[in-house]
Amino acid sequence: MKFTFKRGVHLSYAGKEATSALPVREYVTDYVKLPMSMHIGAPSEPCVKKGDLVKIGQVVANPVGPLGIPVHASVSGEVTAVEKIPYLMKDPVTVVSIKNDFREEWVELNPLGSVESVDPSLIVPAIRDAGVCGMGGASFPTHVKLSLKPGQKCNVIIVNGAECETHLTADHRLMLEFPQRIVDGLRAAMRALNVENGIIAIEDNKPDAIEAMKRAAAGRDGVHVYELKTKYPQGGEKQLIEAVTQKQVPSGGLPIDIGVIVLNVATCAAIADAIIDGMPLIKRITTITGCVRHPANLLLPIGTIVEDVIGYLGGFPEEPGKITFGGAMTGLCIPNMQIPMMKSTNGIVVYNEREAMSMEEGPCIRCAKCVHACPIGLNPYRIKVEADADRLDAAMKLNVMDCMLCGCCSYVCPSRRWLSASFKIVKEKLIRQAKGGQKA
Amino acid sequence: MMEERKSLGSIFLNGVITENPTFRLVLGACPTLAVTTSAVNGIGMGAAATFVLIGSNVVVSLLRKFIPNNVRIPAFIVIICTFVTMVQLFMQAYLPSLYESLGIFIPLIVVNCIILARAEAFASKNPVLASAVDGLGMGVGFTLALTLIGMIRELIGSGTLFGFKIMGAGYEPMLLFVLASGGFLTFGILLGVINAITNYLKRDKHSEGGRA
Amino acid sequence: MSIRLSSAPHIRTAASTKSLMLNVVIALMPCVAAGVYLFEMNALAVLCVSTGTAVLAEYLWQRLMKIQVRVGDCSALVTGIILGLILPPTLPWWAAMVASAFAIIIVKQLFGGIGDNFLNPALTARAVLLASWPAHMTTYVDISREHIADAVAMATPLSSENAVEYTYLQLFQGVVPGSIGETCKAAILVGLIYLIITKTISWRIPVITMLSAFVSAFVLGMDPIAAVLSGGILFGAVYMATDYTTSPMSASAQYAYAIGIGFLTMIIRRFGAYPEGVTYAILLMNILTPLLDKYMPNKIYGHGIKKGAKEA
Repeated sequence: MKFTFKRGVHLSYAGKEATSALPVREYVTDYVKLPMSMHIGAPSEPCVKKGDLVKIGQVVANPVGPLGIPVHASVSGEVTAVEKIPYLMKDPVTVVSIKNDFREEWVELNPLGSVESVDPSLIVPAIRDAGVCGMGGASFPTHVKLSLKPGQKCNVIIVNGAECETHLTADHRLMLEFPQRIVDGLRAAMRALNVENGIIAIEDNKPDAIEAMKRAAAGRDGVHVYELKTKYPQGGEKQLIEAVTQKQVPSGGLPIDIGVIVLNVATCAAIADAIIDGMPLIKRITTITGCVRHPANLLLPIGTIVEDVIGYLGGFPEEPGKITFGGAMTGLCIPNMQIPMMKSTNGIVVYNEREAMSMEEGPCIRCAKCVHACPIGLNPYRIKVEADADRLDAAMKLNVMDCMLCGCCSYVCPSRRWLSASFKIVKEKLIRQAKGGQKA
Repeated sequence: MMEERKSLGSIFLNGVITENPTFRLVLGACPTLAVTTSAVNGIGMGAAATFVLIGSNVVVSLLRKFIPNNVRIPAFIVIICTFVTMVQLFMQAYLPSLYESLGIFIPLIVVNCIILARAEAFASKNPVLASAVDGLGMGVGFTLALTLIGMIRELIGSGTLFGFKIMGAGYEPMLLFVLASGGFLTFGILLGVINAITNYLKRDKHSEGGRA
Repeated sequence: MSIRLSSAPHIRTAASTKSLMLNVVIALMPCVAAGVYLFEMNALAVLCVSTGTAVLAEYLWQRLMKIQVRVGDCSALVTGIILGLILPPTLPWWAAMVASAFAIIIVKQLFGGIGDNFLNPALTARAVLLASWPAHMTTYVDISREHIADAVAMATPLSSENAVEYTYLQLFQGVVPGSIGETCKAAILVGLIYLIITKTISWRIPVITMLSAFVSAFVLGMDPIAAVLSGGILFGAVYMATDYTTSPMSASAQYAYAIGIGFLTMIIRRFGAYPEGVTYAILLMNILTPLLDKYMPNKIYGHGIKKGAKEA
């Protein structure tokens, strides 16, 4: 039986062929910039200054607040700057720049041993100290996800290997090449929370990954591999839960409210690294594809500059029009090439001029394609009317806050209307309004 | 009072054009839609309403100092009823065919909102002569509008105008226009056209003002 | 080097308004071919006049009103062809022209153009013709005659006292009197399959409408097979009930809408003054569409679940 959720879209273009068969290579850059805001929560506090020499894995920034995680040096060398630069967020972000001296000096790591024998109470603190956050895109600190409030009970941990986004094959390659690590990470999380059921869910367009994960999971307690239908957004947290458990997360709630925790495959691997090797999160696999000369899956130090890695892959074959972090459906445009990639950057996709052309918005013809695509069940065409007229309250009544900006509605619209894009603006305005209301 | 300073001519034109009861105020839409199947019907209805308007406006204006505020609406209705009954009896006696075709809409003039509206909004606050002119202006405006709608519907729906055959022998009348839906259609489109013309004229005035 | 910034998603489906409309045009071609084959040059003339007038009216109106000319989206072309197909083959050319201009200018453009009309333009134009020139609209030709030009007034299978005078096969092939495009059920089904394969429309409205018509006919004591094979119910269900703008959006509202059309059609056929009721059934449900959309929306994910509820 294959699992799936209601509605959604079948993407006619996946763009995965370019990289799905390429083994992961390692690339060591000679310069990294480590943003302090790679996770949701307060930015970390730098604990090094310009001129300091750091080793690989050394903590360069301490966590701040309950959602905080540390940041570790991903290369060894000299700290060349601690400064604020404009980044993807609205406000500038403090960045620690390190010049690689290629001496490969490591700090002393503190392995905890096998995930099956380690003391379960040590697991979550180890994950926190390793600076692990969600690597699928949302970058929520993993140790917070794995710390249950009193009264909460987790019944199942779902590992998200759907990779439903276009272009990206980083998770696919990870599952093929390091399946054992993913299972180890899942087992560690299961043992930490005393959960008996762990499900690794993979879309059926990756049969080789399903095979590899099934082999790796064989003989491990409570670990199952589920096959999902290939449909976007199968890997959306709420859709994945609906597909696997047939249950829905309450509106405005979290998966743990129905006893579920979802972890990305890369996050699981990072957990395993943290427990078995004591290795902090300093590298990740990223797909670099689209309009680059040699698309690839690279194991990159966190903080690698986009321009640097694209240069390593031979540069652009033609004039680039647009560069995004993430796939085509939800990817975030980067403003310039000096931006460093972060812990949740699973892909860097380059579009050429033609692909980057913005399309003219036509009138809504009420074809209902958006209504039948929306995985949440909203009426995008109605919300768009209110959004265009800037009627925030009316949009709120139409449940715009339940929108998860998956982009399905915009994708299917034959009139090329900017549906989800305008909902994003409305949601931001509503959140600002709510915050302002609290202050006043 | 503002109204007293206005000239009688401008009061008249106000009813015919500026505040045309049908096209600008959209009052009395019920007889407008129902009886305008021919131009003659439109004129007949308009004339009857004009007579009632003038009569009721004059009497209401004469009695405006004596009618207690609390019972003014019943008082107006009684006055209007008087004139409607007069029209009804007159038509029945001298214009029996028109009386037949207008039917129930003659007695219904009593509740026609144009007449009550003018009594309430104008006649009860203004002297006799001004009220009479206002009634005449509003009546003429109403009559013109009804005749216009009636002409269009008659021409398309029956191929005649005031009962004379206009369209050639080969013309097959578009029955829709003498049915109720044709009334809505004509009325709606005329409203749109007149709004468009008004907006166009306004825009012209604004741009001229800008130059001066 | 300049790179652009834009909001996600960065790819769009290939289908556009124009491609969807052209799909409908292609799907209508079997009906056009069957109509012209069955009713010869008269049918072709009516089709040409209605289509040409529709496209021209849309273009001229948009030029005269100084709004963006969108005639290229082919929606007027679709309206024109559909309108031609639901007219009798013997209709005078001027009536087709009036109907077509009425559909585009009054029903569609006056309400705001594509996507904003609340009634199906082609059907409304047909209703206008029925009200205006009932004689022309109820004259059909006897298909079995040597020459169509010798048209005689004929009742459609529906208006005759005894509907079974035509065999099911004749009804399916369309060798019966009727409007140009609605008689040949085989051609309509080919078009339906094409529309569903190309995902231009979903199966819901046409299939549910036909099921509802079948069941309603059975309940009302008519021959259900003859009822769905005769008249314009199949053509209406496939090409007009599915009109994007005037049909509901959510799945549940579409079910209600389709059931309503099938049921009302049979009610009008059985008890109404008109022999055929598809036109009025669809127009009535068009008017109900905003209400259906309002009161039968999709169920929203995660609503109606208690927050913090524990798994059993």
